[in-house]
Amino acid sequence: MRLRGGTEQAVLAALTALALAIFVGLPFVFILLQAIFPRIGAGSFKDPFAHFAGLVSAGDLPIETANSLLLGVGTVALSAVLAIPLAALRALTRLPGAVLWDLLFLLPFMVPPYIASLGWILTLQPAGYMQQLCGVNLAWFLFSVPGIVFVLTMNTFPVVYFALSRSFTAIGGRYAEVSRVAGATPLRAFIRVTLPLSWPSLAASLLLVFAMAIEEYGTPAVLGTRIGFRVLVTGIDGSISDWPVDLPKAALLSLVLVGLATLAFFLQRRLLVRRGYETATGRAAAAPPRAPLGRWRWPVLAGFAIVAFLASGVPLLAILATALSRTISGGLVPANLGLQNFRAIVANSSGAFSALVTSLGLALITALSAGLLGTLTAYVASRTNARLRGFIELMAALPNAAPGVVVALGLILLWNQPALPVTPYNTLAILLLAYVFLLLPQPVRFTTAALHQIGPSLEAAARVSGASAVRTLGRVLLPLLLPNLLAAMLLSFVVASRELVASLLVLPVGRQTIGTFIWSQFDQGSVGLGMAMAFVTIVVTTLLPLTVLIVARRAEAAL
Amino acid sequence: MRLSLTTLATAAAMAAAPAFADVTVYTAGPAKLIDTLAKGFTAKTGIKVDVYQATTGKVMARLQAEAAHPVADVVISASWDSATAMTNQGLLLPYTSPNSAHVPDFLKSDTAVAEGVSALAIAWNPNSETPEPKDWSDLTKPAFKDKVTMPDPAQSGSAFELVAALEAAQGDQSLKDLASNGAIVAGANAQALNPVLQGAKAAVFGAVDYISLAAAAKGEAVKVIFPASGTVIAPRPAMILKSSSHPEEAKKFIDYMLSELGQEAVAATYLMPARTDVAAKRPGIAELKRLPFDTEKAYGSRKETLAGFAKMFAK
Repeated sequence: MRLRGGTEQAVLAALTALALAIFVGLPFVFILLQAIFPRIGAGSFKDPFAHFAGLVSAGDLPIETANSLLLGVGTVALSAVLAIPLAALRALTRLPGAVLWDLLFLLPFMVPPYIASLGWILTLQPAGYMQQLCGVNLAWFLFSVPGIVFVLTMNTFPVVYFALSRSFTAIGGRYAEVSRVAGATPLRAFIRVTLPLSWPSLAASLLLVFAMAIEEYGTPAVLGTRIGFRVLVTGIDGSISDWPVDLPKAALLSLVLVGLATLAFFLQRRLLVRRGYETATGRAAAAPPRAPLGRWRWPVLAGFAIVAFLASGVPLLAILATALSRTISGGLVPANLGLQNFRAIVANSSGAFSALVTSLGLALITALSAGLLGTLTAYVASRTNARLRGFIELMAALPNAAPGVVVALGLILLWNQPALPVTPYNTLAILLLAYVFLLLPQPVRFTTAALHQIGPSLEAAARVSGASAVRTLGRVLLPLLLPNLLAAMLLSFVVASRELVASLLVLPVGRQTIGTFIWSQFDQGSVGLGMAMAFVTIVVTTLLPLTVLIVARRAEAAL
Repeated sequence: MRLSLTTLATAAAMAAAPAFADVTVYTAGPAKLIDTLAKGFTAKTGIKVDVYQATTGKVMARLQAEAAHPVADVVISASWDSATAMTNQGLLLPYTSPNSAHVPDFLKSDTAVAEGVSALAIAWNPNSETPEPKDWSDLTKPAFKDKVTMPDPAQSGSAFELVAALEAAQGDQSLKDLASNGAIVAGANAQALNPVLQGAKAAVFGAVDYISLAAAAKGEAVKVIFPASGTVIAPRPAMILKSSSHPEEAKKFIDYMLSELGQEAVAATYLMPARTDVAAKRPGIAELKRLPFDTEKAYGSRKETLAGFAKMFAK
């Protein structure tokens, strides 16, 4: 059911559409232009489509597309297999140390995937940390397609875990109890009632995992290259990683990538659209009756511990070990360990510190802007009949899986036009534009999923009571959306604070972000220094959102 | 008294301001080198330097995307061919720095001059229980079975030039042998070195020398060996864009880069300085045996070379 469009809604829709056109539409137009006109950078429309034939005949495109799909589907499948049981146990049983497990599963978000991959290499390759400690290595597994899927999953499955455990808690409390009363066993109640009703959260989070997997650069780049496993993103970055560069190829490949993600997006919507999932009624939900684990207590705890060790333990320990090592070749012996890399970070405090401040500040503004724009987009798209709805939905779908390099390219082409009287280009604002473009899908997905679970009767009640559309949005919907929105904003904050690929290309002169600072150390062979900076960043980006979460929970409890 | 001094200083600064326009430099790594050069240049001339540092590929991509409205004044790349291409496109301002007198002719043209030079080498881990290699072909021997990494010529311009030069000079047999000996192609330059440092692999075929030399100086177990049959060098061209709105400042920057102070900063990163009269901290250009290399021919058939290479190393 949709509410009638009033003037307020029309204004809201128009403003949202305008913002989306500036943040997403215009840069995307320039990506399209670059894909078609190879010399657009010089302002020339000569030789359109000149490079299309060569690209298709080279045979890379179908293979890279198939590999990207394989990676995306594999990661989605493994994430679901891992996250569904964990989330169910977390939400529906009396799991000891529940908050601790949440924290341990939050940590993989904080570890940039390319750094986690490097940590895995340092751990599992021959003579790596694992071999130094237990005498065996797992290089055969790490450098394989299943290995790449595994490393990516360790980084992405928490998205599904958090979305589902929240959803299971909400649904399990009310509906599962009803089915239990009707005589269903706990397992049957979960499979027949709780799981199907959580479908919007599951689909939204799996779609996010799919997009994260196919747009991820670092992991396939460092693990896949040596087994000849090339995906679209590595193809895109490869075409501008050294001389000679091929911008039209990069733009064209990224259109394929965006196409894949958009297809997945519309597939998810089609699956959701015809059924009702409204479970939020506005009444305070009873805390779900959590089942005791009984004799399953220890096996379940062991399962959580193993996953937590693989997802956050191994990468973090590898990062720390490398950061503490004087030399990589010295290995894990006491004489080779020390704080020199951390001291070097402090000594270079001007560079490191300003990179930290730049990135954290930008990430905060990104989270707020993307959160606001994303909520408006989701609201207009799913709750109004505004004429611009189709356009808004399209704009919200475009950034899905758009690779950072190409977004950066589009932004340069757009904002460096000589005719512009003022421009954000070569200021920090260009980074903000890049981050909002890349991260907009997060809040859109999370708030859309939440809107699907809020019955329209609540808004109808507010409107009947005389509240305006804006007031209804602010006073009724927003509080109900807030948990999901906060989660999306935290995710945006963390990802923006470490973004590398786009930052590297549009960095304003004389500036560094955390990502480019670390990259610059790796690029010149100072792995230890890069890892020390990565470790500091992980600690900071964990503590900041954690504080927000704790404060938010306190505030929630106080209400 | 203090007040008047401040006023004077302010007045002087304001009067001098127009002459102190910033110069914008886009450069490939190392970051430490451009930081040192920029600081030294500002200290000497009072001209501020705005730096954008990335890989050669990113620098060139950004220049192409900015072509309608260029931002950079000076560009320093790690690929001489990029300078040739930009010269042919008429993008560069001809300039011969008075300080380039000691730069050998093959490291300068009308429009570009080398900042420094790197060479490709074998980076070998002495703790790897393998015999010390002397030439490229040693890495195709059974002692190095599954023990060699190589930067991807599709992602590293210098690795491409090595492949092209080796194939031109010796045919592609040694590369085929390398592939059948289990060598892996491991991404860009830094990625090829790390497995050798930790000991997962024994040697890099075609390591960028100065990065490995710097690692060795830090105490890493790695030895840089220049192969007996010769190698390729990668001069790093510095150029001034014709579109530069501060060409005089840009020229001053090139002068500073080629001054003794600037070249000593280059040498400190274990690159070979472009000037022959500034001492290198490692074997210099005169001591290196170079493979014959025909740039035009090599880049003319780049696609075929890369495709052939990918086929050899396909798993």
